[in-house]
Amino acid sequence: MKKTIVKILCLVFAVVMVLGCFTACGGDKNYAENNTKIKIGVSGPLTGGAAMYGIAVKNSAQLAIDEINAAGGIDGVMLELVAVDDQHDPTKVSTTYATLYEGGCQLFLGTVTTAPGLQFKQYALDDEIFYLTPSASGDKIPSADGGFQMCFTDSNQGTASAKYFNENYAGKKVGIFYKADDDYSVGIKNNFVAGLNESFGTVVEASFTGEASQFDSQITLLKDCDVIFMPIYYTPASQFMKQGASKVKASAVYFGCDGFDGIDAVEGFNINSITQEVSYLSHFDSTSKTGPAADYIKAYKAKYPDAPLNQFGAAAYDCVYAMVDALKNSGEEITATMSPQEFSEILKEEFAGDFVFHGVTGECTNGQKSTITWNEDGTVNKKAVKYVVKQKGANG
Amino acid sequence: MEIIMTIINGLSIGGTYAMIALGYTMVYGIAKMLNFAHGDIIMVGGYTIVLFFPISPIVGIIASVIFCVTVGIVVERCAYKPLRGASPLAVLITAIGVSKLLQSTAQSLPFIGSKPKGITYNFGNLQIGSVSISVLTLITILCSIAVMVGLTLFVKYTKTGRAMIAVSEDRGAAQLMGINVNFIIMITFIIGSALAAVAGVFLVFKIQDVGTTFGAMPGIKAFAAAVIGGIGSIPGAMAGGLVLGFIEAICGMVPALSPYTDAIEFAILILVLLVKPTGFLGKKRREKV
Repeated sequence: MKKTIVKILCLVFAVVMVLGCFTACGGDKNYAENNTKIKIGVSGPLTGGAAMYGIAVKNSAQLAIDEINAAGGIDGVMLELVAVDDQHDPTKVSTTYATLYEGGCQLFLGTVTTAPGLQFKQYALDDEIFYLTPSASGDKIPSADGGFQMCFTDSNQGTASAKYFNENYAGKKVGIFYKADDDYSVGIKNNFVAGLNESFGTVVEASFTGEASQFDSQITLLKDCDVIFMPIYYTPASQFMKQGASKVKASAVYFGCDGFDGIDAVEGFNINSITQEVSYLSHFDSTSKTGPAADYIKAYKAKYPDAPLNQFGAAAYDCVYAMVDALKNSGEEITATMSPQEFSEILKEEFAGDFVFHGVTGECTNGQKSTITWNEDGTVNKKAVKYVVKQKGANG
Repeated sequence: MEIIMTIINGLSIGGTYAMIALGYTMVYGIAKMLNFAHGDIIMVGGYTIVLFFPISPIVGIIASVIFCVTVGIVVERCAYKPLRGASPLAVLITAIGVSKLLQSTAQSLPFIGSKPKGITYNFGNLQIGSVSISVLTLITILCSIAVMVGLTLFVKYTKTGRAMIAVSEDRGAAQLMGINVNFIIMITFIIGSALAAVAGVFLVFKIQDVGTTFGAMPGIKAFAAAVIGGIGSIPGAMAGGLVLGFIEAICGMVPALSPYTDAIEFAILILVLLVKPTGFLGKKRREKV
């Protein structure tokens, strides 16, 4: 008797699995057919070393969605955010992507960081969906087939930094501290080195791989440099600064890219305890007191008083508005059960076309929102790259 | 000048690896299992010192050792003891499970959380001639030497230490001679966890930051060190740790090699396994397969 039950159970499971395969192989299934709201999906680091970015993106996207919903959504159709945690780990993306796509998401913010973003792009291209990433800045992230960016690409960051160095630090001893196993870091570093002029002579290069490290050797190499360019994220950067506090030249400048955003809020790192200057390159001024950027900061702080605030979040806020504006702009009828591919068609045409968006990132002059457009290849055009000095000089 | 700095860096990095490797090698030698959760005990120690640091660094260090030892005992009692005599593969998988459990538990605790925590503490530098050495580096080197000497003496000259050797050589025979094998294995875990705690403290003071996967990489490197030196051998673990420390220090100083530091370290592990599978100082043992 017992055996028969087991056999029947086995048979049932086998049939279920075979059927499961058929649906999985189906491909053209519209996972959104039962949606009551338009689902916006994002995969980002909500835990781990880069969590500050993912949390800011999640909160800001939620903020934008709440504002849009309160204003009536897209012709009465409401929006909903689905955020999943990839821990800035590319191997997690197969799961996070499936969770989003098969969970019925129709609009995608892609990933928050570059390494997982490259993985995400593969899946997105296969399924022919559109994504607009707030902050995955890798050169290979954008795609003419539907991958768009709100942030500047790495090559743009590296070249812009080199330009700044040529104009402001000519002749100084320059060091580079980068993460050799990170596309983001290597991408910026290569473009930076290529962009420097002859006045610099030999540039000291030091690198690391993996997570938390003992940076003894790297500090030994870089300790006499005047300016240390660090195209890395804030966690290893703050570790380097703490470990090198009394060894690196007291007058040195640590110069980073958007990965430095939030470095003054790292837990257990008192940025005023080091004597070196810390500066970085950005497309959003998180200290704005007036204008659209300040309005966003105010709304964000009111809703999430204790959460990290940075340009990643601001970019995500712009992403949500940009996609919604593009959908409204298209004049097409939008419903909550449209498939991601249908949304993709509309958005691709808009973003690759003449669509102009006004947002809080980029240069906002005279209290006006910035003007943002996109190239056909998915890269963004914003007015001028800003150089924001986060912390100048010594405070003992 | 640069050579001296490289040697000092190598000793300091190698010292911490050696301390962790000792834990691996002792547990392997005596309990005949690879304790992959060892790296996460380092993380436990790291968080304890960060949390207790505001009270006093000394309290932090003591709390860290006590807490790590407690976790070590609990893990041994709950996860490994019931598997005594089970197939090595089952024990190995369990150890990996314990490792993930410790990481995830840490992440879900509200006072630890998902974001890395850090401390800011400067030990200052010591100027010797033209070389400036951080006091922390000196303490790390001296402490790891003290631990190695102490441990060697302990194993050689105390009753418990010699019981350990006996258990590692032949568990059955040791038991027949009246040695409480479970007690000896527990002592091994206590020593291993205490060493992991000390290593965790040094790593935290050095890196000044701790995350939930903080112990993973040093753990794997130390495991490689233990294998290179000859797993099961105490002097082997020290030698292996120092070898890796020096490779890391040298690679770090050569920009062209720097990106490949980890790869070079593990390539050497493979090379050692190919040429001398028992490691530098490992004993040849006939394995029944």
